[in-house]
Amino acid sequence: MTTVTDSKFLQAVDSPAEISDAAGELRARIANDEITPNQVITIFEAWAKSLSAKELDEVPGIVFLRMWLRRGTLEPIIARELGAESLDGGWTEYGRAKCKAFPLGIVGHWPAGNIEIQPILSMTCALLGGNAALVRIPRGLVDLTRILMERLEQADPDERLTQRIFMAAFEHGRMDLHEAMARAVDGAMIWGGKESVLQVRSLPFPHWAKLAVFGPRISVAALDAGAWTHPEEQKTWCLRIARDVWQFDQQACSSPQVLFLERAPGHSAAEFLSNLRRAFETENQAHPRQAIPAALTSAITRARAAWLLGDPSRHAAFPMGPDWTLLVGAGSELPEPVQGKTLAVLEVDDLMDAVAKFDGNVQTLGLGMADVESEKKLALLAGHRGVDRIVKLGRMHTFVPPWDGVDLIRPMVRMVRHVGSAD
Amino acid sequence: MEQLNDKIEHLLSIPPYSQSPDEREAGLLDLLKEELEYACQRHTGYANYIRQWPVNFQSADRVADLPFLPVGILKANPPLCFVSPDEIKRTLTSSATTSQSPSRVVLDAATSRRMTKGVVSIVRDYIGPSRRPYLIVDTPDFLRKSASLGARGAAIQGLQPFASQATYCLNADEQGELTLDRQKLLDFAEKHRDAEVLVYGFTFILWNHLVKPLMPENLCLNIPNIRILHSGGWKRLQDQAVEKSFFNEQLARLFGCSPDCVIDFYGMVESVGVIFPDCPEGNKHGPAFGDVIVRDPLTLEPVAAGEFGIVQVCSVLPTSFPGNLLLTEDLAQVIAYDGCPCGRRGISFRFAGRVPKAELRGCGNLETKRTATN
Repeated sequence: MTTVTDSKFLQAVDSPAEISDAAGELRARIANDEITPNQVITIFEAWAKSLSAKELDEVPGIVFLRMWLRRGTLEPIIARELGAESLDGGWTEYGRAKCKAFPLGIVGHWPAGNIEIQPILSMTCALLGGNAALVRIPRGLVDLTRILMERLEQADPDERLTQRIFMAAFEHGRMDLHEAMARAVDGAMIWGGKESVLQVRSLPFPHWAKLAVFGPRISVAALDAGAWTHPEEQKTWCLRIARDVWQFDQQACSSPQVLFLERAPGHSAAEFLSNLRRAFETENQAHPRQAIPAALTSAITRARAAWLLGDPSRHAAFPMGPDWTLLVGAGSELPEPVQGKTLAVLEVDDLMDAVAKFDGNVQTLGLGMADVESEKKLALLAGHRGVDRIVKLGRMHTFVPPWDGVDLIRPMVRMVRHVGSAD
Repeated sequence: MEQLNDKIEHLLSIPPYSQSPDEREAGLLDLLKEELEYACQRHTGYANYIRQWPVNFQSADRVADLPFLPVGILKANPPLCFVSPDEIKRTLTSSATTSQSPSRVVLDAATSRRMTKGVVSIVRDYIGPSRRPYLIVDTPDFLRKSASLGARGAAIQGLQPFASQATYCLNADEQGELTLDRQKLLDFAEKHRDAEVLVYGFTFILWNHLVKPLMPENLCLNIPNIRILHSGGWKRLQDQAVEKSFFNEQLARLFGCSPDCVIDFYGMVESVGVIFPDCPEGNKHGPAFGDVIVRDPLTLEPVAAGEFGIVQVCSVLPTSFPGNLLLTEDLAQVIAYDGCPCGRRGISFRFAGRVPKAELRGCGNLETKRTATN
């Protein structure tokens, strides 16, 4: 059990009053201190630099966090979501009207417990909108979050941002504290599994609170015949797939659980699978797992056995340990996801057959396509089948909105419309 | 098959805890390899699994490298089976208290016979060979002649070879609700007060239907020469905050014996014939015809003494289903790899609960089901 040592922003909380008091202070601070996205980004850039320290290299997702915090990433997102003039807090003209983003107030964050950088990512979305952030930190992420927040403290000596943040660590089962958080906020970003999401959504939020919910979904990879049979590119595609699988131990909603491989007449998939295996071994050597829940190990061993016992024509590749698993077969049905770097590789005659069977639970489709026209058709079909992100393999986790089909900053602001009375 | 059977019988015939770890490893390794070969000939899916295992089992030089199956795979229906339907003598089903579907294991005559011999060999080492009055804290319903037998029935039946006569002291109503037949219990105590007596019950049944109902009246049955065996796990008692030491004390007080006479054993229907009673040191041991490997969840390699991991149960007894090398969903700590002060050779270990249940999530809050350890 992690012991929570209180720090400036991150405190072990044991009573609803502590949360409502903290929220009251946040509200008082933001009432008289408007901060523009540009000012936030300036601090974020300094924060990103301080996160470049080598000792943080092993933090899962740190590369994405550094990229996310850069001006080059955020400015276009702000401009697209909030309007061209919004960077400096200006009004953007829309015909005869002008619009400007105003913060909701306090945004509560319920991040998932298994994605290390998610409390930070979620919080940054609210801060970019000028809000204060009240963040519940899952137990397992307390130490890491504290380290990352100490770097923000260094990057923000005037406390423009840090004064707007309160992070509360408390037991998942403390419904009284969850309820206190919900009562104190004007908006919420909720991430997690079905059970968690439903539980948080049912909390007593004020009737005006805006909720952005990012529930459990899975992701899928696909390679067309021209891509995986290309002699010079095959290994590169394999490395990209391995990297997408390795991030977040394949537990993120953007992690590929299945790779559909379009059959290529005259080509055996054996060489490709051999390269994919080598890519997994290489990635595993570079980024070995440091710990694993016993339940995940059990699930991985069950998946291996079920796959091979159930159909003698299937193949698999895996080491003795639970490090990674390739389950090889055929067919366009989505198999049950396993996670823990367990990738099902399914040969199909036509990628369209596989995508046509998606049921809205697929968030990201990672593609490697040599045939541009086929990719257009596949993307269109995927959109119709509920897929929210269609990206190149190797970039499945790149945190760029829209995410889950929705913007990340705009849901936590109010777009105020002003039509001049003299017009 | 006959040769295989002879080798299994040989291991069943030697004292179960007499071999050094090296002797045991060598004997088990050879026999398990033969059993895997045999199994591959009988099940194409299993042969596929074995073929794709990262280590060729024929060249493996330790039991830990042989292809194990996760126990959950035995929940398959129809069950995984190495014999033809006409050879099936009985199907055992697990109690399935922690999941919706039970495991199903099919026994042919040979496996069924070995199961009985295995239990007898182990239990004899703990309580001696004699037959004695057998008090079963359950109802006879579980032993009805049928093709299917549950975990409770299998345990009750497994101890029958130690019984001179059997007495059931619970009744079940039409809804299956159990109640204590108080008079039958008192009669049994009166009749066998000075005899050597064996008692068996599922752990939670002993507590809920024997100890708890009699607790208020401070009754003592006064049967000092008794052995009380129980199994079935502690989950339901943990829910009632009943510790093992308190459980033992209360049972001992009721029967008028020492708490040392209470023996908790671990067994799974999936690993028929291999059970793990507590020794006087509070440890469990593997017999000559089976063993336990405790594996590190991170590497699946055997852990060092003192460390915790996932339990794998090995047994040479089954040849009718793939129950030879089963990775369970239980956790244990290895106390030592030899040298338990109780004198039993080989690994000594203690159970440390179930592998916490986890469900798949995408960007999910994995701690939802782990609040107890938060």
